[in-house]
Amino acid sequence: MAAPKIMQQGRVVPWLYVLPALIVILVFIVYPTINTVVLSFRDRRGEQPASVDCVEGQPCWGNFENYRYALTHPDMTTALKNNALWLLIMVPAVVGMGLLIAVLADRVKYEALVKAIIFMPMAISFIGAGVIWRFMYYIETGTGEQVGVLNAILDAFGIDPIPWLSQPGINNLALMMVGIWLWAGFCMTILSAALKGLPEEVLEAARVDGATEWQVFWRIMFPMILPTVTVVITTMVIIILKIFDIVFVMTGGNFGTEVIANRMFKLIVTDTGRSMAIAVLLLILTIPIMIINVRRFREQEAIR
Amino acid sequence: MKSKYFTWFSILMALALALAGCAQPTEEPTEAPPAPTTAPPTTAPPVGPEIDCMGASAGDTLTVMYQWSGAEEEKINAIFKPFVDACGVEIVASSTRDAAVLDTAAKSEPPDLLFWPSTSPSLLYTEQLQDFASIGAHAENYADFWIEQGTVSGRWLVLPVKADIKTIIWYSPVQFETFGYSVPTTFAELDALVEQMVADGNVPWSMGMESGPATGWTGSDFIQDLLLVQQGPEYVMGLIDGSVSYDDAGVVEAYETYFKWASDETYTVGGATGTVSTGFLDAIYKVYSDPPEAMMVKQSGFAGGEVAKFYPDLEYGIDYDFFAFPGAQGMQGGADFLMAFGDSPATQAMVAYLTSAEGATAWAKAGFDLSPNKWADGKYIDAALAKKGAALANAAGFTPDLGDTIPAPFGEAEWRAIVDIIQGADIATALAAAAAAQAEGLGQ
Repeated sequence: MAAPKIMQQGRVVPWLYVLPALIVILVFIVYPTINTVVLSFRDRRGEQPASVDCVEGQPCWGNFENYRYALTHPDMTTALKNNALWLLIMVPAVVGMGLLIAVLADRVKYEALVKAIIFMPMAISFIGAGVIWRFMYYIETGTGEQVGVLNAILDAFGIDPIPWLSQPGINNLALMMVGIWLWAGFCMTILSAALKGLPEEVLEAARVDGATEWQVFWRIMFPMILPTVTVVITTMVIIILKIFDIVFVMTGGNFGTEVIANRMFKLIVTDTGRSMAIAVLLLILTIPIMIINVRRFREQEAIR
Repeated sequence: MKSKYFTWFSILMALALALAGCAQPTEEPTEAPPAPTTAPPTTAPPVGPEIDCMGASAGDTLTVMYQWSGAEEEKINAIFKPFVDACGVEIVASSTRDAAVLDTAAKSEPPDLLFWPSTSPSLLYTEQLQDFASIGAHAENYADFWIEQGTVSGRWLVLPVKADIKTIIWYSPVQFETFGYSVPTTFAELDALVEQMVADGNVPWSMGMESGPATGWTGSDFIQDLLLVQQGPEYVMGLIDGSVSYDDAGVVEAYETYFKWASDETYTVGGATGTVSTGFLDAIYKVYSDPPEAMMVKQSGFAGGEVAKFYPDLEYGIDYDFFAFPGAQGMQGGADFLMAFGDSPATQAMVAYLTSAEGATAWAKAGFDLSPNKWADGKYIDAALAKKGAALANAAGFTPDLGDTIPAPFGEAEWRAIVDIIQGADIATALAAAAAAQAEGLGQ
């Protein structure tokens, strides 16, 4: 039996529905992306091919000259190393922290209050958070009193103050601390929601069978929320790859704390080609994670 | 239940906001003149036969373009006034900061005279501009280096009219008196004074240079002053045009001197950590705290304004003052320049007036920064300007800021080299990276 007339659509109608979204995506995403790629092969003013910046007798990658900068210049290798460090340390830390709080908060009376406090940093602008933490890490180098919270504490115990933000080795960790403070709430909220969604009967059954809480968590809860954990991890990876605000506000990329996005920002005025090459590099680094994220999401949808 | 937590949440939020509100503002300094500037003189300097109208007749119009507005525009008008009164020329001024507006004007109806804070129009409109030598400028009133710097392919196209110098050191006259120190006039005296201060148990310098992403610029100013002392202005100009590489022995020497002072806590507040971690504004305040944490801070003119804001009870000239960097053979700073598109009698008369002793006097009395005109020295009313004016008059050269003048990526590389060296990096290695950026920026 033929469907009612109203249900019959020509080939054109679906496109009409998609059109507004399509236009927005074309204008604000596709075109800028293509333009960025094109500009990444141009010189510092974005006018001539990148190869004009080549100097005779020095290594040159021709039109890929900006990519030579993005992959081999000491400023960039520092940034790449630091981004890797951020990923290796901050992702496990922030997801672990979020999970820990989600599990523990689940068992206390003041759960909502605890979660509100942990989540609150998300309500502060990242620039604001950077400024706040600059005061936390403040070091008085003269004869004055230590007014930065951390150095005041050290001072109370008679320990010499630490230049948290300018001492290589410590400063990257100090910056990551701010990132964890900012994002732990986000991870906690999502993981907490996943935990709440677990069927009570399964956990009940395990406990009746004599499983310890430790076993309940690792053998039952964790495997069941694993898809959510993966989504949180991939989301954090993307966010941290693009980390910018904290570094920009707190150290400006000085003292060996440079990251990829900050270099892109610094160069955008003075060197279009290099800045765009860094943007493309960042895009290329992000794409695989995006794919994993989308695939995961689809799998989850399929299970439902 | 819900509303209870919401109340808690609100209280916490309010607390957080209040805490954030208590934080000290860390705004950028405004480039304000250091001391309270005197009002433009109400009585015009003696006019009459001294001002040569070069055949311009009353009612002639003269078009000028500049970037000044507000108080600055009032000052330039005060400077024009004796000329306008004497010759009856009508000045039609347009004020814009937009190079595109200038470009449109230059291609259609160029102003007779252009005042601009850079010399770049002289490269863009070389053919259109008049040679000052042929339109009545008094070249004898300007130091040779000004004329050399203003000469483009053999023609004198750029005339400096307004300058400010930052080759100065701030100190506390009260403290100097207490310890019996006198203001040094040569670099050897400065060096000896620094050692004397250390021997007395005082910290000579406050060198903090933390400034967010721009950390390092304070050090860059200091090093340029050292270069002006040890090598002179021509050497610095050589760095700017690339004939001297930034890892040259002279630059290394300046960095060694700087490193000695900036990395040791007997010479500067907090040693190397203090230099890289202390905000550049805090560094200024430390010299005037009670008791003072340091004796001197090398900083531009704006430092005076910052001290006045932070310590409203202190008085310029008594509690805080500055002296020109001892032994500097040239000055570093910024200047505004005059360029002439027209050659009408009114234009020539104005050029002659501004470059004459009368023009210099009017400029000095208006207190519109410094005039590079030789006759301005000694005519300033404002004490701070008088001191800077004397330093400028005795200078053998005038150099713009290295980091601002050499194109990117040099500026950032220079700051990085400074920070790295203070934190213990090898001077030669760090300077080699900066020299590579210098060559790259200059397209060499």
